[in-house]
Amino acid sequence: MILKLAGVRKSYSVGAQLVSALAGVDFALAQGEFVTVIGSNGAGKTTLLNVIAGDTRPDRGKVYLLGRDVTGCPTHRRACWIGRVFQDPRQGAAPHLTVAENLALASRKGRRGLGFPLTRRRRAALREALAGLGMGLEERLSEQVACLSGGERQALAVLMATLARPRLLLLDEHTAALDPANAERVLAITEDLVRAGGLATLMVTHRMDQALVLGDRLVMLHQGRILLDLPSAEKRALAVEDLVRLFRQEGCAEDELLLSSADNAPPRAPLTPGAAAVPRSPKGP
Amino acid sequence: MSIVMAAVEQGLIYGLMALGVYISFRILSFPDLSVDGTFPLGAAVGATLIVAGWNPYAALGVAFAAGAVGGAFTGVLATKFRIQGLLAGVLTMIMLYSLNLRIMGRPNLPLLGRPSVFRLAAQWGGIPMAWANFAVAASLALGAILLLHLLFRTEIGLALRATGDNPGMVRAYGTSPEGMVILGLALANGLVALSGALAAQHGGFADVGLGVGTIVAGLASVIVGEILLRPRSILWALGAVLAGSCLYRGAILVALRYGSAVGFTASDLRLLTALVVLGALVAPAWRLRQEGAG
Ligand SMILES: Nc1ncnc2c1ncn2[C@@H]1O[C@H](COP(=O)(O)OP(=O)(O)OP(=O)(O)O)[C@@H](O)[C@H]1O
Ligand SMILES: [Mg+2]
Repeated sequence: MILKLAGVRKSYSVGAQLVSALAGVDFALAQGEFVTVIGSNGAGKTTLLNVIAGDTRPDRGKVYLLGRDVTGCPTHRRACWIGRVFQDPRQGAAPHLTVAENLALASRKGRRGLGFPLTRRRRAALREALAGLGMGLEERLSEQVACLSGGERQALAVLMATLARPRLLLLDEHTAALDPANAERVLAITEDLVRAGGLATLMVTHRMDQALVLGDRLVMLHQGRILLDLPSAEKRALAVEDLVRLFRQEGCAEDELLLSSADNAPPRAPLTPGAAAVPRSPKGP
Repeated sequence: MSIVMAAVEQGLIYGLMALGVYISFRILSFPDLSVDGTFPLGAAVGATLIVAGWNPYAALGVAFAAGAVGGAFTGVLATKFRIQGLLAGVLTMIMLYSLNLRIMGRPNLPLLGRPSVFRLAAQWGGIPMAWANFAVAASLALGAILLLHLLFRTEIGLALRATGDNPGMVRAYGTSPEGMVILGLALANGLVALSGALAAQHGGFADVGLGVGTIVAGLASVIVGEILLRPRSILWALGAVLAGSCLYRGAILVALRYGSAVGFTASDLRLLTALVVLGALVAPAWRLRQEGAG
């Protein structure tokens, strides 16, 4: 097992109220598994990833990475096993460092020494890796990341997250801030890199069609609980409408986001740019 | 001695301090006020050791180390104890004021007639003091920017630079940004203390009041350098800090020498410096608002 969560709970006190972000989550992820995670706003998806990465400490329950109990282990100590891409393209890289410098930081995790990471040989290797993205970034090694577009930054962030060969990749709606064409490209890059590295992956998405087409297992979160955990075979037999029906059964049919996806998305839509774009409801504060 | 020569000499000596301010403010994005305490700390430690018969170069080394400890202390307050950066710096600064008095045993320690790195250089090279002053200040300042330039290209250096830019990313890639803040502040305040020790040897005395306004003078140097040279690379940015420091010292010397004609005295210096910094800080925001309105 790459990852195991046992009885993970996390609440936040908002004013006088106690909001339960994770209400007892048990979950396991095997080597090389690609799981898509869906759920309405506030379902606890980001909190789940934060708990796994170490940014949030659960109130109760345990987190195991590669069989080790890492519940109390700070983010930077478990970073060697984890690659992560955030929703906001600004979060993935240091804007005033060059593309090459960001990649150099990403390619070796943990203890930093006084060696020069950007040797000529290393730059050549990075250039090659960038060329693999097919976005022309290999010509922009010495440019500051601040000069890149959102899509370019997100593609770079995916490459950075997978560069040091982590065991687990965490993606939190990492294409949500991009236009459909860029989202498509970054998604294709993600799939390539995940397949090439045989990475266990947890991908949060708001798009039902993405969740169905990508990955080999589907998890639905609702109010801090895992409502559905569909293995590959059942997932393949599912269409977007089936997913929406399942949502309705579970009593979360009022989620306008999910309803609108039934109207917009053709069943089993192939992932073409824009074809199955689900309008995202504006996020709460 | 010409005013230009004096400005460059002082600019290079105080430039080491400005480099420290550049590291905390620009590289780490940490508003570190402990420099007002670590500058006289360096002077106090360095001067006390020289009076005790130490080699002046060794005294500089110990002064750097003392400053580094002071900076690391601020870093620990800010990261481990989560005290606001500004407050952490002020606390260190206040503590150092008392500590500096303890170190020197009195508020002012004269070094006249004592050995200094400048005198050693003059004796060793058989050159006049004026040349020796310049040569020592230049080699230390240029040596510092060269070493910093190299440091900022190493793995640790990249992590330091990324920490001020995006601490979350540093953390996600396996390095504790808290550790980097502590390390960076140690380095910055080490440089500031080194500058203080050097200024004491240059001026011939150490004084507890030496540090007042250090931060504003440092910021003024950094900002003047940035505005005039608009540096694009780290090496240029470091050079711009030194250039800014020289210009700032030159402006002060001019104001002191010719300012009396318009009623300007030495006691107005800090007001003037603070106004310059204020102007430089406000101007970009003001221009932005003008453009937004237009
Ligand atoms: N730092 C915090 N302080 C207070 N409440 C929080 C905090 N983080 C999350 N919450 C609450 O916990 C719940 C789950 O939040 P989370 O961010 O995990 O949802 P999500 O599934 O990622 O939603 P979205 O789809 O909008 O990103 C929400 O009710 C949220 O308000
Ligand atoms: Mg979220």
